[in-house]
Amino acid sequence: MKRMLIIVGVMFFLLAGCAAKEEQTAGHMEGMAEGHSQGEVMEGMAEGHGHGDVKVTKHFDESLTKLTDNKLYSLELVVPEKYMKMGVNTIEIIVHHATGGDVAQADITVTPWMPSMGHGVMQKPVVTERGGGLYSVDNVVLSMTGHWQLQVKVAKEGKEDSVVFDFPEVKAMGHEHAMMHAPPPKDLDYATMKMTASDAFSVMYKSIGGQVRINRIHSWELTVKDAEGHPVNNAEITIVGDMPEHGHGLPTQPEVTGMGMEGLYRVDGMKFQMPGWWVVTISVMANGIQDNVSFNLNVM
Amino acid sequence: MRNFLVRTFGSVVAVSLLVIVVNTTVPGTVLAMDQHTWTDQEKSILRSLWIGSLGPLPVDPSNRYSDNPKAAALGRKLFFEDHFSGNMKVSCATCHREDYFFTDNLPLSHGMDTTPRRSMPLIGVAYNSWFFWDGRTDSLWSQALGPIENKREHGISRTMSAYIISKYYRKEYEEIFGPLPDFMEDTLPQHARPALDDPDALKAWVLMTPVQREEVNKVYVNMGKSIAAFVRTILPQPSPFDRYVEQIMAGESLRSRMALTDDEAAGLRLFIGKAKCTNCHNGPMFTNGDFHNLGLSQKEKGEPDKGRAAAITQVLSSEFNCLSKHSDAEPNDCPELRFIDTSHKKYVGAFKTPTLRSVTDRPPYMHAGQFATVREVLEFYRSEAQNPELGHGDLSDKELEQLEAFLHALSSPLTGLLVEAK
Repeated sequence: MKRMLIIVGVMFFLLAGCAAKEEQTAGHMEGMAEGHSQGEVMEGMAEGHGHGDVKVTKHFDESLTKLTDNKLYSLELVVPEKYMKMGVNTIEIIVHHATGGDVAQADITVTPWMPSMGHGVMQKPVVTERGGGLYSVDNVVLSMTGHWQLQVKVAKEGKEDSVVFDFPEVKAMGHEHAMMHAPPPKDLDYATMKMTASDAFSVMYKSIGGQVRINRIHSWELTVKDAEGHPVNNAEITIVGDMPEHGHGLPTQPEVTGMGMEGLYRVDGMKFQMPGWWVVTISVMANGIQDNVSFNLNVM
Repeated sequence: MRNFLVRTFGSVVAVSLLVIVVNTTVPGTVLAMDQHTWTDQEKSILRSLWIGSLGPLPVDPSNRYSDNPKAAALGRKLFFEDHFSGNMKVSCATCHREDYFFTDNLPLSHGMDTTPRRSMPLIGVAYNSWFFWDGRTDSLWSQALGPIENKREHGISRTMSAYIISKYYRKEYEEIFGPLPDFMEDTLPQHARPALDDPDALKAWVLMTPVQREEVNKVYVNMGKSIAAFVRTILPQPSPFDRYVEQIMAGESLRSRMALTDDEAAGLRLFIGKAKCTNCHNGPMFTNGDFHNLGLSQKEKGEPDKGRAAAITQVLSSEFNCLSKHSDAEPNDCPELRFIDTSHKKYVGAFKTPTLRSVTDRPPYMHAGQFATVREVLEFYRSEAQNPELGHGDLSDKELEQLEAFLHALSSPLTGLLVEAK
């Protein structure tokens, strides 16, 4: 009797183990890009080279490659951790000529789109050229879970071409559904002063009139300085709020006004309509440099 | 072998069942006592939902008569006035029934005809920034004017309204708003309004003199401002939930004295915790005033209801918005309109989060009365557990019952001019 129990137990354990493994694999695949025409990307991934008669040397092993619709360019899309998630994503794109060779100084436009819902997102992805045909794309905001597409348009010297990358099942914050409603990471940084992602600027925010409170339109004051600590008064600033756990933004469109002194900017029209973890991303463009920084807030 | 396995499995189940039974009975009593113990963070959430956090009625800078008692008294009469309708049978009170928490019991409201949506409850409505299910007006007074000229609701026009005011309410009107012109039946077209859905009424409106149009608009706007002055006095009284929060804040710990039963308190705990209801139903009116698409089915055939998406241009172009010449507000007093989110696509099929005060007393539910009972609403939210915006956790039947029990504890009688007048 006792022995039988052990056997049953082991069987249960094995079964559960298998199920968990399957789920993990499935989760991994679902969020990954699939070729618009089936098979193309998979081939690209497996081979690492070549689309029919076109030879391209891939820069990254784990990237997704596709030819643009008119076969002018070949694009490599690098998605961190190989899947797109609901919320704010950063990706990298390497642009090659279809005949080989990197394409520098091209105009890249990335447009997220939800085909089933017929909508995109308010937030515009920010493309920065890194050299050698590499472009980083920040602020790719996918506002909800589900089927997303990224249209990537490449324009250079009057020659324009585009291609759509397909993400059949974008999930929230990771592979498992259990993660979806997970609280924000425990070690979340709630600092109100930070350096931007590439250390170009320091940005400090404060809510005018005290603590940020839910459901109230209020104003923020920003202080922007350059890497040496000098005030930056001529910046173009955009501000985007996002709730990573829910996949939506602010209920308002805030306005930023430069005060023209001491690197001060006023942001009017801030409003948070849900309690919990918010990410406010401030993008700063000044003296030909574009950089951004994200602040975590716990709104009560 | 197979038999043996089944038998063994059976005994494992039996043993684990026994464990479960033991677990729920003995520590159960402890659990019941804990039911009324709250952490400091939970207490601050309870306090934020408490009626005492509501604060005084917000000033409406676009309506300088909003706290004028005479305007409110006139507004109360206009609210119940059947003359303001194409068949002399429809008043505001037809769909906002005094005996039904100022909404009605129909899935789709019916004035002159059946409307595409449910009537909104008016409890504490003055605390809103946007009005109607889609927020197509930004003040209570401009909201009050919409249904009057809507064919399916009151089905009359502003010229007819001005005429009725001048005939039946002249004295009260003039005491508040000053001299009222004579609107003669033979000089004023009966059905004239700047309407795109009614060419005849539009033509009649265009043929009026600018002075006439201005005079009619002024009376019409003042009528809305009076009705708003009355409607804003419709407020909830403290519910058992509010009394419970006061007990918790006062440190009451005697279980038998608690204003909420164990089940209701368990429901409250779910409401602010696991079930995440306070994501949208937050603050003392249990609403964030924002617009959300829940993916509800649409009952009526025809064009899909775009909700907030269609309302954005409506409120921005409204002749009666906060920035219009009929508003008493300074441009800086209109932040909601100034910072309105114009991302149309984000709001397709999105509707306003309604208040939950007295919610169980006024079925049916949702913007088109999709659900007949609170239980159906809760079941719907449970079924949408995978939707990140609607994710309400993995709720058991028992937990759904507890949530429902808690919602009953949000019931309270109304207060307001109407009640005081009796």
